[in-house]
Amino acid sequence: MNAIEIRDLTKNFGEKQAVCGLDMTVPVGAIYGFIGENGSGKSTTEKMICGLLPLSGGQIKLFGRDYTDGDVRAKVGVLIEAPGCFPNYSVWNNLMLQAANLSIENAEDEVRKVLKLVRMEGAASNKYKNCSLGMKQRIGIAMALLGNPKLLVLDEPINGLDADGMRIMREVLVGLAKDHGCTVLISSHILGELEKIATHYGIIRGGKMIKEMTAEELDAGCRTYVALQTKELSRAKAILSCRYSRVAEENEYLRVYDAEAPEAIVSLLYKNGILVSEIKTAKIGLEEYYIDLMNEKEGR
Amino acid sequence: MEEGRELTFESPSFFKRLKGMLGVDFYRLFHTPLFYIFLCIAAIIPAMILGMVGAEGAEPLYDTAWEAIAVGTPLYTFEEMGQYANMNMVFIFGGIMVSIFIGHDYKSGYVKQLFTTHAKKQDYMISKTLSCAFAMACMCITYLLGVIVSGLLVGASFEVNAYSLICAILGKMVMSLGWASLYTFLNIIFRKYFGISIASSFFFGTGILIVGLGAVLQNSPILNIFLYGSSVYACLSSDILTVLVCLAVSAAWSFVYNLLGTLVLYKSDVY
Repeated sequence: MNAIEIRDLTKNFGEKQAVCGLDMTVPVGAIYGFIGENGSGKSTTEKMICGLLPLSGGQIKLFGRDYTDGDVRAKVGVLIEAPGCFPNYSVWNNLMLQAANLSIENAEDEVRKVLKLVRMEGAASNKYKNCSLGMKQRIGIAMALLGNPKLLVLDEPINGLDADGMRIMREVLVGLAKDHGCTVLISSHILGELEKIATHYGIIRGGKMIKEMTAEELDAGCRTYVALQTKELSRAKAILSCRYSRVAEENEYLRVYDAEAPEAIVSLLYKNGILVSEIKTAKIGLEEYYIDLMNEKEGR
Repeated sequence: MEEGRELTFESPSFFKRLKGMLGVDFYRLFHTPLFYIFLCIAAIIPAMILGMVGAEGAEPLYDTAWEAIAVGTPLYTFEEMGQYANMNMVFIFGGIMVSIFIGHDYKSGYVKQLFTTHAKKQDYMISKTLSCAFAMACMCITYLLGVIVSGLLVGASFEVNAYSLICAILGKMVMSLGWASLYTFLNIIFRKYFGISIASSFFFGTGILIVGLGAVLQNSPILNIFLYGSSVYACLSSDILTVLVCLAVSAAWSFVYNLLGTLVLYKSDVY
């Protein structure tokens, strides 16, 4: 069974089509990284999944049921933009109010549990308005976790977090998927972070899904390159560019894509009087894959 | 992947959902200074009006203190301010209170959080209507207290038919439900425009449209089908029938506005 199954989803805002014929499949238990540039339709799609925007067309199914089904909605936790908290109330009170809205029995125990999960036990009495951005994001996650959801929809939850905040968020999300069987749909522009946790990816562009794949498929699809360091970067680049289709300079390294073997590169540079001080083979990451894909779509 | 984990889905019943939502709304109501400020405003209005009775050189607006609660006979139009300035003014200020209360729901993102879960749109309408109706009914009570205290202070007459007075007050309190549903509906319509929400609530709360219609229809009792009409109908010559009319009109409009509000919420985007 899939946690989310979307077919031919469309959303119009007046004349503007924000989402056009989008298909999406998120398997149960997956951490699905939803990627796309600003204005590509990510948030609109997520809002439709969450029932905040009515559909202009198409179909959304959550766990095999219509997305408006009250039973299935009760098992969806959401963090879109910012958590819906009252700034003058404490973190504890905000969570207790959400627990009341969700008709949760043993609300106090449940709130304690989610606060512990997001490592916010010590800040329960803080007023929401006095919390840092990272804390607010974690409160949002805690709020989404109330009621033991089976699906979490998170829109840019790691934006603005510091390195430690990102690490905590990453551990929390992985733990939720692994230990609680929760499916996570997460959109983010911080692809490096997303790559560390996602098991599936969906790339959206212009309101259409242009690629869906698993982490394994991404790995298999990512091109390898040879990265090398030398004192004569510019000259080495010029020499290698004559032989290889794509040579790029990045962070004091030269990257040679689609190279058959590093030995051939070292030998070629040596013949031209250039010494290589360091060389390694690597694969491009999600970020480069995404940029390549976007360039390809734009015909660049 | 959690292949073996069984997924079961069950959502709370309507009453359980409503109970939870009402609990939140009442908690918020009792914990916001806004509620207490408007209770005070409701008590101060009659004090200001009745104070004019004692002011030197001022024309007395009323013969008895109770006329600050309601007029002697139903007057849908008015010739002097005293016929208009009574407990119905609670519904004008109540509208502003409801606008601020609901506006905060949207501003804080609470509505967004609510509608992403199992909460149904009609639950929200019902819960807001009931909590705001309660707030306005409380304002009616503080208004009554304001009349009594300020009436005593200025030495106004308290002569009245107690039965009719009780029926008039009950009628007006019952009308709170209808007014609350109207304001909730208006705030749903203008949810993106806080200023317009307040202005529209104030405009409809004054009953200016019905006052105009009253002038055309010569104070016809047919105006009782409207919220302002029934609010005026609850006057110092009321009886149990008046209360029942108020109850029926208030409930009917409440049903209509809740239905319309729910439809609007279903068809529109939540911001």
